[in-house]
Amino acid sequence: MSATPTIAFDAERCDGCGDCMSACASAKSTDGNTAQSRIRIVRDDEAGHWGVALCRQCGDPRCASVCPAAALAKGDDGIVAWDAERCVNCLICTAGCTFGGIAFSADEGHVVKCDQCAGTPQCVTACTRGALRYVTAAKLYNRWGELEDLFVPGLGGCQGCNTELIMRHTLRRVGPNTVLATPPGCIPGMGSVGYNGMLGCKVPVFHPLLTNTASMLTGIRRQHKRKGRNVTALALAGDGGAGDVGFQSLSGAAERGEQILFVCVDNEGYMNTGAQRSGSTTYGAWTATTPIGDSARGKAQDAKNLPLLMMWHGCEYVATASTAFMEDFYAKLEAALEASERGFAYLHLYSPCTSGWRFPSASNIEVARTAVETNFAVLWEYRREQGLTLSRDIDDPLPVTDYLKLLGKFRHLDPAQIAHIERHVAEQAQVLCELAGMQPREGERIVCHPSDSMAVDLDQ
Amino acid sequence: MSEAVEKIAPSTGSAVAKKEPRILVCDGNEAAAWGVVLSRPDMVAVYPITPQSSLAEYVAQFVADGVLDAELVEAEGEHSVLSVLHGAALAGARTYTASCGQGLAFMFEPYFRTPNLRLPIVMSIVNRDGITPQCVWGGQQDAMTVREVGWVQLFCETVQEVLDTIVMAYRIAEDRSVMLPVNVNHDGNYLSNGIVRIELPDQGEVDDFLGMPDVNWHAALDPDRPMGVDPLTGGATGPGPALFVGYRRGHCEGMQNALRVIVEVHEEWARRFGRRYAPLVEEYRLDDADHALVTIGSMAGAAKDAVDAARDRGERVGLIRIKTLRPFPLDAMVAALDKVRAIGVVDRAVSYGWNSGPVHQETLAALQHCRHRVPCLSLIGGLAGADLTQTHFERAIAETAKLLDAPCPREPVWLNAEDR
Amino acid sequence: MEQFDYVVLGASHAGLEALRAIRAHDADGSIAVLDREARLPVSPTVLPYVVSGKCAEDRIALRERRWFDAQRVDYRQQAAAAALDTANARLRLADGREIGYGKLLLATGAAPAIPPIEGLSDVRYHVLRTLDDALALRDVASEVAGEAGRAAGRAIVLGAGLVGMHAAENLVRAGARVTVVEMRGQVLPGYFDAAAAARIEAVFRDKGVEVLTGRRVEQVAPRGEGCTLRLDGGEARDADLLLVAAGVRPEVSYLAGSGIAVERGVVVDAFMRTAAPNVWAAGDVVRTPSFFGDGTPAGGILPDAVEQGRTAGMSMAGDPALQPYPGGVSLNTYGFFGHRALSVGRDAPEGTGPEWEVLVRGEEGGDAYLKLVLRDGRLQGIFGVDVLFDPGIMWELILRRVEIGARRDVLLENPQDAARALMSGLWR
Repeated sequence: MSATPTIAFDAERCDGCGDCMSACASAKSTDGNTAQSRIRIVRDDEAGHWGVALCRQCGDPRCASVCPAAALAKGDDGIVAWDAERCVNCLICTAGCTFGGIAFSADEGHVVKCDQCAGTPQCVTACTRGALRYVTAAKLYNRWGELEDLFVPGLGGCQGCNTELIMRHTLRRVGPNTVLATPPGCIPGMGSVGYNGMLGCKVPVFHPLLTNTASMLTGIRRQHKRKGRNVTALALAGDGGAGDVGFQSLSGAAERGEQILFVCVDNEGYMNTGAQRSGSTTYGAWTATTPIGDSARGKAQDAKNLPLLMMWHGCEYVATASTAFMEDFYAKLEAALEASERGFAYLHLYSPCTSGWRFPSASNIEVARTAVETNFAVLWEYRREQGLTLSRDIDDPLPVTDYLKLLGKFRHLDPAQIAHIERHVAEQAQVLCELAGMQPREGERIVCHPSDSMAVDLDQ
Repeated sequence: MSEAVEKIAPSTGSAVAKKEPRILVCDGNEAAAWGVVLSRPDMVAVYPITPQSSLAEYVAQFVADGVLDAELVEAEGEHSVLSVLHGAALAGARTYTASCGQGLAFMFEPYFRTPNLRLPIVMSIVNRDGITPQCVWGGQQDAMTVREVGWVQLFCETVQEVLDTIVMAYRIAEDRSVMLPVNVNHDGNYLSNGIVRIELPDQGEVDDFLGMPDVNWHAALDPDRPMGVDPLTGGATGPGPALFVGYRRGHCEGMQNALRVIVEVHEEWARRFGRRYAPLVEEYRLDDADHALVTIGSMAGAAKDAVDAARDRGERVGLIRIKTLRPFPLDAMVAALDKVRAIGVVDRAVSYGWNSGPVHQETLAALQHCRHRVPCLSLIGGLAGADLTQTHFERAIAETAKLLDAPCPREPVWLNAEDR
Repeated sequence: MEQFDYVVLGASHAGLEALRAIRAHDADGSIAVLDREARLPVSPTVLPYVVSGKCAEDRIALRERRWFDAQRVDYRQQAAAAALDTANARLRLADGREIGYGKLLLATGAAPAIPPIEGLSDVRYHVLRTLDDALALRDVASEVAGEAGRAAGRAIVLGAGLVGMHAAENLVRAGARVTVVEMRGQVLPGYFDAAAAARIEAVFRDKGVEVLTGRRVEQVAPRGEGCTLRLDGGEARDADLLLVAAGVRPEVSYLAGSGIAVERGVVVDAFMRTAAPNVWAAGDVVRTPSFFGDGTPAGGILPDAVEQGRTAGMSMAGDPALQPYPGGVSLNTYGFFGHRALSVGRDAPEGTGPEWEVLVRGEEGGDAYLKLVLRDGRLQGIFGVDVLFDPGIMWELILRRVEIGARRDVLLENPQDAARALMSGLWR
């Protein structure tokens, strides 16, 4: 069973204008009457929000299961397709759907449903508010699903942790012609290198020291290249191994332009060893070494912005990503992998820690998403040729407190601390906006005019 | 140097029968760099530190000039230097680096791991004293401090021996019964900067001598042979302590095997290149001696002069020079020590808690295995680049001779204590 | 003796859905599907459309053989179970062969119930459960409908359930004169409330159908090719075609002596397990408990069969996502003469207390009719004729016991949009 592109609806952005329904009706119905639209925007005045009735193109479509005439079936393209020839108009399909995704049309004389307009849904095109999005991540999941999972089953991550997701998806894409470095931390902690005499993955893998990941990969990559082999040197490291004690080797390799793909899984502390503070820990956060007491209220300093530091190394590629935005992550992984053929590529993944940050294990992706939507974790991308670009609009973020209140590590914050964090988040966003604005306009290049000779008269 | 390169760039042709050796006038750091060139490493990683810096510069220049076809990694610090070589060696590279003093201290974390990974890395230590009081000069405190880490440690007396030993070190390190990293020590200042005439072996002969064996047959990071290198081992869970103990014991066995291999390699070197060095312990005018000095490194030259002078005066004195400190050449040392009735050990480093020098402690341990109880005096000199002249050694001989008739003092003799 | 990890008896909706659920969780287990039919599986629900000629008989298969192959399922036709030995986990087929099972699903469905009417067995009558039944009825219907120069014959349908009403409509459309006799006081009893049923009945009468509700047939006697029926009032009707559509009974004959409890269907728990080890049952063969825990009619409808099949399949395969079957909710979509009637859930019982609330619009002969039944502010049932809503959403609102009291008026006014808006919020 394959996953399917989907039309996502954001109720917060919908104003009920109905343009989507008009677009659908004119594209799909015989008379263009909005009543015939296959997407229906509805208002629940009681709850005060807009809702949507639309076919979800279910992976396991119940409309098809209950159809007595085999007139509905999920196709290889992921679309649940309706067969006019077979349909007997019994409407039992409408009993099978809990989304209002298939309904009888009096004008058409039979049931109608969304077919996503062969990949360019008109409703989405018509939506100017961004309330409808055509999410094609499923295509990527399908493509990724066909790639071999190079980790063994049963890695021992904490319940709800997204790191295993990051590991498996990354290595699927990067593939078997890889040497994988996983410095001490959660990633080897869950068994990437091995336990009990059993190995954790199917590619060559090792624990570097916590301090020397990028350096060991330098030697590996260069030696294989010297022998004419294009072996990917991949790091899956935590924020301590990347940005604290491991930063010197990381910085050195980046400065030298070593051809390495370095993925930092940032859970903002030493979470594998009991949640101690790191340089990536947020101001005010509780950790085991920044406890709450009469004279201390969590970490007293802001986190360092490791991805920005990496950008200033002039890497081939630097980007931030989140598992709440998998399409974006995939695109960046592709770009980073490609860039690592030319030089240093650094990918920074925000990885909420269910145990160390103190939030329910079911909420990981919600926490990750909220971090992005509040600008707490801004998604951006730097390419040496193009400079920095923001991956999504950051002009209208949710309140930072929407993020802080999700996490037990911030429960003690007083108003002054919250204000400090809000200010810091705003400053970081501002810096990124300005950096994004610094890039030359499309088609233009900043040029450096060469002087006539090396003998420059310094007095002039 | 560049003229020298043009004139005497090593031949790259196949091994040819005996050729006239090429003659070079250079210091120990350049000689070491030539030793590196002849050994054809795949990768060299360096970070400059006095008094090693010119060695790094020579190697960089050789790579720039195409004399040495190696990947050169100008790492951002010694810690990374050795880490880069870990990766390279696990990917199958012959590797080289050089450091000393604080650089060695900074690379201690990967240094510690190198022999446990059984990586046959060769590394020069251009010996330097400890950092404080602030000091950039020679002394063996660096190498002596790390003698329990598990590297093979060889100490050279002359510039020629530096070059020759670097080449031999690869044969020792890469021997399948050894598979351990080798430190080739040459004293900072004396050897690193002292200019002498040396002979440069023929590249083809060296190629023939060294070969190019696999260095990652035992542990590789190579997609063609996927494996997990160094997973969590031992402890409360897992295959049990036996596996960990097995690794440690194997390491000890490799060390003991190295004693045999070092002797064999030095023998073959002498056969092929005509220069014979005592592989483990050198005995100098020892056979009929009443007493002897134990020395290590470049100090042996002045010490031998002092022995000669004493012999000229009729004193029956000899000298023992330790070339191989790790593995400790117990049998050779015991055989030498058994020949005399009093010993004076001259150290260029301090063993703080023992109130003596480290080689003195090593010697005391060896004496446990001798037939007779031999008194053994500690003498400490040459710290922070201080001269150890023939005069100093004449005094050392005199202090040692006193042991023939009087009890051995507990206090060490500080040879440069009065030097201004 | 052959042995399979899973054996599924029956290849209709419950069996096929169970198969899908098993394969979704267990990619490797061996599966055999044994169908007593000699054709690819066909839904009974589609048979009226075969009779009417809307469906070509070769285009109604629920699955093609290649689908079974792709699922790596050993699919066998004309493989009817004759006896079940639960102690030894083996099944004896009608041809005498035996098959061992790891886990067994009984999804053998139901067969037409034949009412005990005097003389019925002496006349030629039709039922409609299999494709053969449908083809036979189709041929006869066209004969009865009359050819040029001959008066149309009369068809009598016993039972005004969905099968009977569909058939009646088809026969009328074909040109026959039709009488429907229903024992109970309304058409489609148990499917629709009385008011909706009255509207449906009125449409049928408009089309010339004689609808006799609250009437019994006391005797049937042969009359030429046809028969004569004597009704409970003493009056008689001649029939050229007699269709018995008086409901169904579970197909359980092979369970005799198996020890599996049958009480108006196989007795199962919330995971569709029978009392016998490693034996499950789903679909029309099961005595379906009502979601409401009362005497409300439950079971015998297609969506329920699918739910039960899914529950059984997940339970058999050990799928950790398994949820208990919540109980049957009556749920019907019925199109007739260009109209559409929808029903979900139950009507308010007679003499109810104040916790019950019934809202109706279009009661007095308007174009459309809609009735909402609430208890304690939660939806119990919704019945509509020519009012569109999404039965699937209403079903979900009932199963989730969603409080909708505050939205009762918008639901009554526009049940489709109001329920969609409510559900959209719940899904988020």
